Amino acid sequence: MDTTEPPKNMEEELDSEIASIRGEIRKLQRKRRFLAASLLSSDNFHKRLQEHQSARPSSSLEAEVSPLVRAAGKHAQVNHHRVAFSATTFPFRDPSPNSENPNLLGVRIDICASNGRFTKPYYVLLQRVRGEEKRLRVHRHTIPAFISVEKLERAFLPLPAVSEEEAGENLKPWKGNANRQDLPRFVRELRRQLAVWHLRMDAVNFLRGKLGVQRRNVQSYNDGDDGVWVRDILSDNQEEIRLDANDLGIVSLSPTALDATYVRLEWEDGRVGRIKMSDNGVVERAVVIGDDGRDKSLEAVLTGGNGRVETVLDRLKQHLVPQE
Amino acid sequence: MARPKTVRAPTAASLPSNLRIPSTTPSLVKSFGKLTRQALLDLVFYWLDDRNVQSFEPYLERDEAEGADDEELGPYPAERTIDDVRNAYQELQVRKGGKREVIDRILEGDWRHGITLRQLAMVDLRYMDDHPSSLRWTALELTRIDADGAQLAETDVSSYIPRIHASTFLSNIQQQISPLVKAHYYLARSNTLPLTFLRIFVTNSPYQHPRQPPETLTDASRVIHVAFPDSCPFVYTSIASSTGSKASVNAVATDARSLQRIVRDAVPKALSLPQRRYALKATSLTAKNLQALLALRGPGRSNGANGAFSIFADAVVEGSPLDPRPAYTVSPEELLNQARPGNNKNQTTEDQTESETHGSGKKTRNSEDIHIPKKRKLAIYSRFGTSGHLSSAPLDRLDVRLLDRPDGDEHDEDSDTDQTQPSLSLTFAGSDVISGIRRLAELGVVDPEKMPSWMTGEEAVSVAVVHRGQRVIKDSG
Repeated sequence: MDTTEPPKNMEEELDSEIASIRGEIRKLQRKRRFLAASLLSSDNFHKRLQEHQSARPSSSLEAEVSPLVRAAGKHAQVNHHRVAFSATTFPFRDPSPNSENPNLLGVRIDICASNGRFTKPYYVLLQRVRGEEKRLRVHRHTIPAFISVEKLERAFLPLPAVSEEEAGENLKPWKGNANRQDLPRFVRELRRQLAVWHLRMDAVNFLRGKLGVQRRNVQSYNDGDDGVWVRDILSDNQEEIRLDANDLGIVSLSPTALDATYVRLEWEDGRVGRIKMSDNGVVERAVVIGDDGRDKSLEAVLTGGNGRVETVLDRLKQHLVPQE
Repeated sequence: MARPKTVRAPTAASLPSNLRIPSTTPSLVKSFGKLTRQALLDLVFYWLDDRNVQSFEPYLERDEAEGADDEELGPYPAERTIDDVRNAYQELQVRKGGKREVIDRILEGDWRHGITLRQLAMVDLRYMDDHPSSLRWTALELTRIDADGAQLAETDVSSYIPRIHASTFLSNIQQQISPLVKAHYYLARSNTLPLTFLRIFVTNSPYQHPRQPPETLTDASRVIHVAFPDSCPFVYTSIASSTGSKASVNAVATDARSLQRIVRDAVPKALSLPQRRYALKATSLTAKNLQALLALRGPGRSNGANGAFSIFADAVVEGSPLDPRPAYTVSPEELLNQARPGNNKNQTTEDQTESETHGSGKKTRNSEDIHIPKKRKLAIYSRFGTSGHLSSAPLDRLDVRLLDRPDGDEHDEDSDTDQTQPSLSLTFAGSDVISGIRRLAELGVVDPEKMPSWMTGEEAVSVAVVHRGQRVIKDSG
C-alpha cells in the first residue's frame, strides 16, 4: 500500500493539472475565436482592408482572408437586421421524411432586456397548409405557454375551414376580410406580447434593485437564517431572493406568476398588497389589505401620480414622509 | 379529543387535518420508512418549529397525567417540554444511525397518541420531493368553455391561466366532491420544482371521524395527487396505482378509478369562476418524471418545439444579435452555457463533449470523404436536435399505434375497409425512451434519415396514433 499510494496521488495530481490546463486552453481558444470574429466584422478593419486591396489588387492575402471577411460581413449584416427590426425571418427545412411541406418559414424575434443583453431568441416556424398554398399555420414555436399562440393564430392566421363556416353564418360586409391571413400583424402582436412581458419583468427587477436585493442559490440553504427568502420565478436558475431592509418596510416584492402582470407586495407590519401592471407600465389597479381591512390611502398612492410602475417607490416614500 | 363518542352524524365537511391515525398501525411504519433518516428529521424539526408546533403537538408528560391508565412504560418516556423533544431529535441528528430509530421514536415516543392526516400527507409529499418519479403523471390542459360558443373579441391573447387562491380553491373543490366522497386535502408547494401539489385523500365514510380500520387511512390507492405547474394552462394528475383496493366491492363510487374521475371532474369546476368556466382536455402525455412534464407541458419554451426543433427551444442555433461570431463557429454547448451563466457544475463534462463535437464538425466541413458515422452523426443532429443529448425530457413509456398497412401497399380507396384495417401497436419503455432511440440511431440500428418524426420526440406525447409517419389527432382528444 505504501509503495503504490504516492504515485497514485501524483498521477491524480498530474491528471487534474492536465485537465485544468486543457480547460485553460479551451477558454483561450474561445477568446481568440471571439476576438478574431469581432475584428473581422469591425468597420475599421473592412475599411483598411479595402484600402489595402485597392493599393495592391491581387495578393495572396486576399485569397486567404476574403472568404472569412465576407462571412463576417454577412453575419454582421444579419445581426444589424436583427437589432434594428427585432423580428426577422429565415428559411428552415423540416428534416422529417414524412412532411408534406418540409420548407418552413422561420420567424425569429429578438428582445432586448434592460441590461443591454438580448434574451434567448424566440422562434415561430410556419408551415404551408396542405392544399392552400398561400395559407400558413404555426408548426412549431418556442413561445412561453402563458402567451397563447393558438389564440393569436386564430385571430390573425385563420384557416379556411373555420372561415368558411363563419362566412356562411354571418355575411356581414365589415367582416369580409376576416378570413384573410395577416402574417405581419401576427408577428407584430406576438412581438408586442413578448416585449411587454420583458418590460414587466424589467420593471419588477428595477423595483427590486431600488430596494436592494440579495440572491442565493436554493442549494445553499442553511438554518438560522432570518428573513423571508422567496423563490425568484423570474430567474432561470432556481434562485431565492430577499429584499434588503428598507425604510419603506417592504419585505417582499414578487410577481405572482411568470407573466408578471400582478406583483405582490408584503410589508413588515403584515400588510399585503397586489398591483396590476398594464402593458404600458402603468399601475392599473392596486389592493392593499392590512390587519384592519383595506388601506385605501396606500392604494391611492400606488395608483396615483403619473401611475408609472417605475415611480411607485418614490410615491410610497413621499407618502411615508408626512406621516412621521 | 374530548369528543362524545356517541354522536356520529354524517356531514359534508372534509376530514380534519388533525384526525389522528393510531400510531400502532403497521402501515405507518411503511409510509415513514420510505423517507431517509435526514428527511424524517427535517420533518420532525418542522413539526416542532415554534410556528407549527400547535398543529403537531407531541406527546408530553402532562398528557400522560391526564390519561393515567397506562401502566406499562414504553421505551421512550414522555418528555416534559417541547424543548426536550427538540433536544432529543437534535441528538439523533448529530448521532449516526439507521432511520428505524427515528421512526420508532416518532411512532412509539413523541407521537404515540397518533399521527395526524396532515403529518402523513407531509411525509407523502416529502417522499415525492425526494423521488420525483415515484408516480405516473398525466398532463391535462385547461381550456375555457364559452357559454354560447361565441368568439370573444381577441384582445386578450394571454392563455387561460386561472389564478389559484389556495383556500378558495380548496373550499370550492370541497363543495364539488363532498356529496360523493369524504376527503382530506393538503396543499403544498414543491421544494424543488415550480409546482404546487394538492394531495387528496378520499374515504367512503360520510362520518367526520370514520370508524374504519386505520389501515384504510394510510391506503396509498386512496390518495390522488394533483399538481399545478406555475404560469401555464396545464394540470397534472397522478394515476392511482391499480392495486385493487378492498373497498371496490362495497360501492361503485369508492374504487380508485371512479374516485379519481370524480376528483378530476371537480378540479376544473373548482377553478372556474362565474362567466369563466374551464374544462380539462387530455394532452396524450403521461410520464413518471415531473421534469419531463414540465418540459413538454410546462411554462417554458419547449412546449411546442421538440425533437428536431429543440435547437430552437434551447436557442442553440444562433447567438444573440450582438455576438460577432458567425453561428457555425460556435458550438451549441457554448451557446447553451452562455444562456445559463450560473451553471458551472457540468462545465468540465460539457467542455469535453464540446471539444469532441466541435472537432468532428470541423472535419466534416473540410474534408469531402465523409465517413458513415460522421454523416450519421450529422443526420442524428438534424433529426434529434438537442433532445436526448443536451436537454432531455425523459419519457418512461411511449405507446404508438401505426395505422399503416404493413406491406407498404398504400391505396387511398381503402378508407371504407376501416374496420378490417390492420394496426400495429408499439410500446417503448425505459428510463428515457427518446434518448434511447437516439442511441439506437447512433449505433446504426435506426436510420436517422428515414425514421418518422415521432421517434425523435417531436410530437411531445407519450401516446400517439400514427398514419404515414404523421400523428393523427383524434377529435375527441
